[in-house]
Amino acid sequence: MSRAYRITVKESDTRHLKAGDEICTQLEILEILPPEDMAALLKEELKKRGFEEQDDGTMVRKDGELTVKVDPCSGEVSVKAETEETVAQEAKRDATGFNDVGPSEKSLRDRVKDQLKADLDKKFEQEQSRLQNKATEQLEKHLTELQPEISEVVNQVTRDALKQKAQQMGTVKEISEDAESGSLTIKVEV
Amino acid sequence: MTRAAVPPRPPDPDGPRQVSKFEFNLLRILRFMVGHFPADQGMQLVRAAVSRPECLSAGAVDLIKDTLGKACVLFLVRQGAWRNDKYLRDNNPTPGRVWERIPLEERSLLFSRPVLEFLLWATAEKVNDTKAAWDAAPKALTPADELFFWLAFDATRTDPDLLAALRKKDAFRLNPLCWATFPGDMVEGDEVTPPNFAPMFEGQRAVLLECLQPHLTHRWIRSERMKGQMGDWKKMRQQGRAEFAALQAFLKAAAEAKRTDLARFVLRTNAALFTSEMTPVFWTGGLQGSGPPRLADRLDTQRSALAVPRQMDILEGWQNSALNVGYFDDGYQASQMWKADWEAVSGNRVAARARATVEMLEPLRGPIGGTPAANPAVAPGDNPEGSSG
Repeated sequence: MSRAYRITVKESDTRHLKAGDEICTQLEILEILPPEDMAALLKEELKKRGFEEQDDGTMVRKDGELTVKVDPCSGEVSVKAETEETVAQEAKRDATGFNDVGPSEKSLRDRVKDQLKADLDKKFEQEQSRLQNKATEQLEKHLTELQPEISEVVNQVTRDALKQKAQQMGTVKEISEDAESGSLTIKVEV
Repeated sequence: MTRAAVPPRPPDPDGPRQVSKFEFNLLRILRFMVGHFPADQGMQLVRAAVSRPECLSAGAVDLIKDTLGKACVLFLVRQGAWRNDKYLRDNNPTPGRVWERIPLEERSLLFSRPVLEFLLWATAEKVNDTKAAWDAAPKALTPADELFFWLAFDATRTDPDLLAALRKKDAFRLNPLCWATFPGDMVEGDEVTPPNFAPMFEGQRAVLLECLQPHLTHRWIRSERMKGQMGDWKKMRQQGRAEFAALQAFLKAAAEAKRTDLARFVLRTNAALFTSEMTPVFWTGGLQGSGPPRLADRLDTQRSALAVPRQMDILEGWQNSALNVGYFDDGYQASQMWKADWEAVSGNRVAARARATVEMLEPLRGPIGGTPAANPAVAPGDNPEGSSG
């Protein structure tokens, strides 16, 4: 007589997932002074804003899970968001077998295990995608916040460079700055 | 382009020549590839197989030669050879139509065996589904062969199966003309390896490029306008990357060969696009959905879409170099010609507009409040305010 039985298989797994996103762009630094002088001014300005100089000459600042890296020589900026999480997932499946026909219990169990593995992979893929979205959202949000700061850095470097250039040209008689309009007037006696 | 150097031909028989069914198909395929036969019928013939004979009749060979010679010359003349234009020859501007500028021996088209072998193969086999190997070593091809293979590829590339089959073959994959015209069709994935463009700027290949300048301009303008209707992010990225790599390599080779006149189509394409201020939406407005999940990939796709405007940087560099060439310097005439080309399309304005459009895509470059306006008092080259100078 044929007897049905049901087996339940559970699988769980824990994985360490990582996701990241990064954009690179170029700062618009005017060539008012020689490139090495402009790089020095940029470095100074970045230091004031919490950037630390690395062995390779780049300036790096970590804002939580985000890293802003500026190469003062080339003006290249990269903003990187990285996020990681240890995720545990569990999957469960039931299968019905018969003692006289069909696959044996062992092969049925193996088949269900394979299906569970696929289920787990799918769940981890979804988690990976969620983590990726999180990293990208963080990056986008940070870019919005970073933009005014980077603009200020560029403006400050330009101002400093103009002042130095004026000093090289002659005696600076008067400097007037209007923070609102951003205009800078330098009177030089040559 | 060719009128002399043709061997004496036997008198034509009365009435149409007799050819076999295979030869008839071959001739129709040839006429389709050079643009003298309806594309839908030509495409059917290329996709069909016919058993190949031992050899071709003398009459058929004669017709093939005749068609190749006349159709290619007619194509070149129509596309731009007829124009009374000015191109560099030995680094000096030379005016006139192509047959006035170039001696006959330099513009006589010579087709070699690979062309006939390709036609036999394309007639006998289903090009999109055949195991019969055919290819031609690029080094063995004459400039006229390259021109023919370029025409053949252009005629068939609208069919995705034929495109996939042909672009794997070296005769097309390494054909610089194909890369200079439709680089997006030459790649399958993200990996882009343009061919060596240097030979394009020498001898007869350079003459062909001169003839094709208006044609290339027209093609690139059309391709740029089509981008606005492209919805697939991946395809846009692949095409843009291929275009960027191909144009960069092309312009580098042009500069090294001192044939900046042969890059006019890049300048004129940009000039036609930037008749007014543009935004990147012109190129990327058709992209569907939110695109790849990573911001880096989305940005890369958008940057790739603007491959053509991004070339203006190089052209502007050429203009700056041309401005610094003195009357007694080498290449003064050539630099004067480039400056004339640049000014004819208001190059400075086009370059500024292209730069502004490209920069709109760049993150961290939004509207800047309080940008210090560099006072003319300290601008290099100007007299500072209050100075005695």
